[in-house]
Amino acid sequence: MGFIMPYTLWFDKAGKEAIGLVGGKNASLGELIRADIPVPPGFSVTTETYLEFLSGGGMKEKIEEILSRIDLQDVASLENASKVIRQLMTEASLLKRIEEEISFNYQTLAQVFDVPNLPVAVRSSATAEDLPGASFAGQQDTYLWVQGNDQVLEKVKLCMSSLFTPRAISYRMKMGFPHEKVLISVGVQKIVDARAAGVMFTLNPTNGDPSKVVIEGNWGLGETVVSGICNPDKYVVDKVTKEIERMVSLKECECIYDPIRGGVMHVDTPPERRELPCVEDQEILELARYAKRVEEYYGCPQDIEWAIDKQKPFPLNIFMVQSRPETIWSQQKKEPVLGKKSAYELLMEKALSRVKVGP
Amino acid sequence: MAQKKGFQMPLEVEYPKGLEGWEEMYPPMYMFSKDRKEWEEKHFWFHDKIHAPEAMYPLDLIFQEAWQISLSQYTTRVFCIPPAQGIAQRMVGCYMYITPVAPPPPEIIGEKAGLFQKRVFYVFDHYDELWVSWLKKFKALGEEMNNIKVPAELPKFESDDLVFPDPRGYYTSYEVIEAWDRLVDLMIKGWQYHFQYLNLTYLAYLMFADTCRKLFPGISESTIGKLVAGAYVQMFRPEEELCRLARLAAAVPGVAKVLKSDISPDKKIESLRKTAEGSNWMVEYEKSKDPWFYVSCGSGWFHYEGSWTTKLEIPFGYLKGYVERIEKGEKIERDLAAIDKARAELAEEYRKLIKTDEDRKSFDDVYKAVRTIYKYAEDHLFWVEHWFHTIWFERVREFGRLFVKCGMLKGIDDIYLFNRFEVPYLIEDMVTTWALGEGVPSRSQYWQARAEKRKKILDAAKKWSPVPALGTPPEEIAEPFTIMLWGITTEKVQDWLKGMAVVPGEVTELKGFASSAGVVEGKVRVVKLLEDITKVEQGDILVCPTTNPAWAPIFTKIKASVTDIGGLTCHAAIVCREYGVPSVTGTGIATSVLKTGDTVKVDGNTGIVKILKRA
Repeated sequence: MGFIMPYTLWFDKAGKEAIGLVGGKNASLGELIRADIPVPPGFSVTTETYLEFLSGGGMKEKIEEILSRIDLQDVASLENASKVIRQLMTEASLLKRIEEEISFNYQTLAQVFDVPNLPVAVRSSATAEDLPGASFAGQQDTYLWVQGNDQVLEKVKLCMSSLFTPRAISYRMKMGFPHEKVLISVGVQKIVDARAAGVMFTLNPTNGDPSKVVIEGNWGLGETVVSGICNPDKYVVDKVTKEIERMVSLKECECIYDPIRGGVMHVDTPPERRELPCVEDQEILELARYAKRVEEYYGCPQDIEWAIDKQKPFPLNIFMVQSRPETIWSQQKKEPVLGKKSAYELLMEKALSRVKVGP
Repeated sequence: MAQKKGFQMPLEVEYPKGLEGWEEMYPPMYMFSKDRKEWEEKHFWFHDKIHAPEAMYPLDLIFQEAWQISLSQYTTRVFCIPPAQGIAQRMVGCYMYITPVAPPPPEIIGEKAGLFQKRVFYVFDHYDELWVSWLKKFKALGEEMNNIKVPAELPKFESDDLVFPDPRGYYTSYEVIEAWDRLVDLMIKGWQYHFQYLNLTYLAYLMFADTCRKLFPGISESTIGKLVAGAYVQMFRPEEELCRLARLAAAVPGVAKVLKSDISPDKKIESLRKTAEGSNWMVEYEKSKDPWFYVSCGSGWFHYEGSWTTKLEIPFGYLKGYVERIEKGEKIERDLAAIDKARAELAEEYRKLIKTDEDRKSFDDVYKAVRTIYKYAEDHLFWVEHWFHTIWFERVREFGRLFVKCGMLKGIDDIYLFNRFEVPYLIEDMVTTWALGEGVPSRSQYWQARAEKRKKILDAAKKWSPVPALGTPPEEIAEPFTIMLWGITTEKVQDWLKGMAVVPGEVTELKGFASSAGVVEGKVRVVKLLEDITKVEQGDILVCPTTNPAWAPIFTKIKASVTDIGGLTCHAAIVCREYGVPSVTGTGIATSVLKTGDTVKVDGNTGIVKILKRA
């Protein structure tokens, strides 16, 4: 008896048990929803769709053939192969009933918000991507402010094809990761019309301090912070005392949706906002509260993308857009910081020490 | 022009006019001199604003003498903290400067380590019983001092009972000599007791702070302090007794009425003793008085501060306020159980964030150790600097009165113009003159002239602002008090170097230790001399050299406190945290830069004080 896997799955229906179907990013969104964290709604186009896509018209075989001819030493051959594969994929069509399902879901989402061409983000979610221990992140595509059925379908295919960017291909070849083992899922998520957005860590990435939540943010969409192209505000919140250390920066550029140009773009931040904090204290505390909850849910330090909606009132304007395990401090061997010392040993250490004072 | 500015050398200090002759007021070993120049210039001397913020009266120096010996010996000869040595003192134009003595040679450090380990761990293990025996021993010492009899006058003729049936053999002359010697002896001994465990408590605190910072690199100083400080602290008993008495009074309208009235404390007491209910309340008052009202009105270091037994307007003033608040339905007591619970919860929250079981165990171990012994820091203060010192001042006042009665000096407090080595001269002169018979002159003119001269010198010294530091800043400091109590850090040293060129009018921001959390804005009240504490009004931001636990009732009035000196465990910090009042300590320059009436913003989370508007 065949068990038919779904081609699409709403986020709240798929958690970590479904990573194989929806990829790491989307599964994590499902988990966040389960933990009662506010997440913009959406659905995954599953790996089943991807597999179906590959199996149509001999695409899989064509791709394998092109890949086998790549000379890793020759950048041009890599780039050419990528170009050909991606073109192949974007020109092909998905199964009709899959396209109808995707469109139906998108329409449903639009109706919920009563916005006909609801802007969504279309994001890749590879099955190997956000697993702890691997930092494949960022090697696949993200598209912001996608509107309408046609655009959604186009971007879904583009995302799938992003498994075959030159970088992604070469990374897998160098790491010895078999191409066919990496499946891809694509998330379609309502985009937050962000007044401000950014990332936060449930420890201090500078020194690994587990008692802090560090929030970085900028005006507009979170792109500028995630990609690191701007100087964000930085807020360090103590998880216990809730003390906030504020480092408001000079924010010179932001990423906003331009309705006239019909797309997302980077613009200069208006001068009057450049030195203003992009989040209020109560928002900072609420973000930190959610960060704590997410960390407790997963049981390990997290790297979380957040956004604050322009229209909604506090606290309904706060959203977590993504969460993945923090990769740097958590990778370090769990050695006791104090070196298994008793009070007496620590006292001896201290008694023998001196504090450096001189200039 | 581009020379690096350093601190002056001690012998380079230029004294202002009016201070000529100041050196003779203090014992010779307190002077900087050519014969110790090399050693002195290698060290870093800073003005001790915690214990000696004001110009030093010679007799008050005895406390400083006593602690120089005591603090130092516990570090060098008793508990042997390995790389540390003692703290040396010098006088500079009537102000006291101190330095942590440079570390001993490496082979000594090694020897000390062995002794340290054995002795210190023993204390930690047995602290609870050791505290009980310490308190018993100390109270006995104080009682001995209390029982010293100073004759009110030198009799014309010794009485019969000292001759019959068997002549005593020693008379008033000897009694006076012996009383003074006994008094001084007990004071020196009391300070030997004082430091018995104090060095260890500070070391334990430093160790705990280190541990916290290894686990949580961004943890704030004020949080560390909160984790350690206890709620049930003997230093706060005087205020608790006031609350107790206020409640008793509020329940009896007749008593409440008297306490709320505007007559003098003496008249209030007189009036209360006239009624049965008033008398009953006075019985309770007397119960509280010994020992709890032996608390100093200031730090306990200066004879002119007074205590709640001499300046009755202080406790009676507080009582009036408390009765009024009780009648309004306000709660006047601090909820100690709640404070303690809050501390325990804070610790538990951080503990939960610890990653490994081993670290958690180490943390528990360290926390337990520091919480055990830190009580000593908090409890000893009342018994020594307050109760014991108040008894000392009572006895010394009796000597002062005797000097006046015998015409040796003009004022009762003039005795303080002579250091403790000189007072025996006056005593011997006085009893010798008495012994020699009628019509014999003493050298009273000489003593009185010296007293007048020294008063003028001290007046001139009070107008002078001594430099914050002299000598060579150290590379490293191992001595725990220097770090914690005086808050001497790299930044502090740098600030002082910079501050040498600071123009008070140009300063817009001060930086210090974030000693107690919270952010407030308000008007400044600068309090440099103790008597000005009564001028503090509701909502003031108190700015002073250092605050004082005996000012506890003031802390319900003020919005925040800012001090010149003091690290995280100075009493200013501890008291402010207990009262939930934001505090920034150790700014170095607050009292010289801020003026009463200035509007400031005090951020106890970051340790920054911003000047918003000048008065």
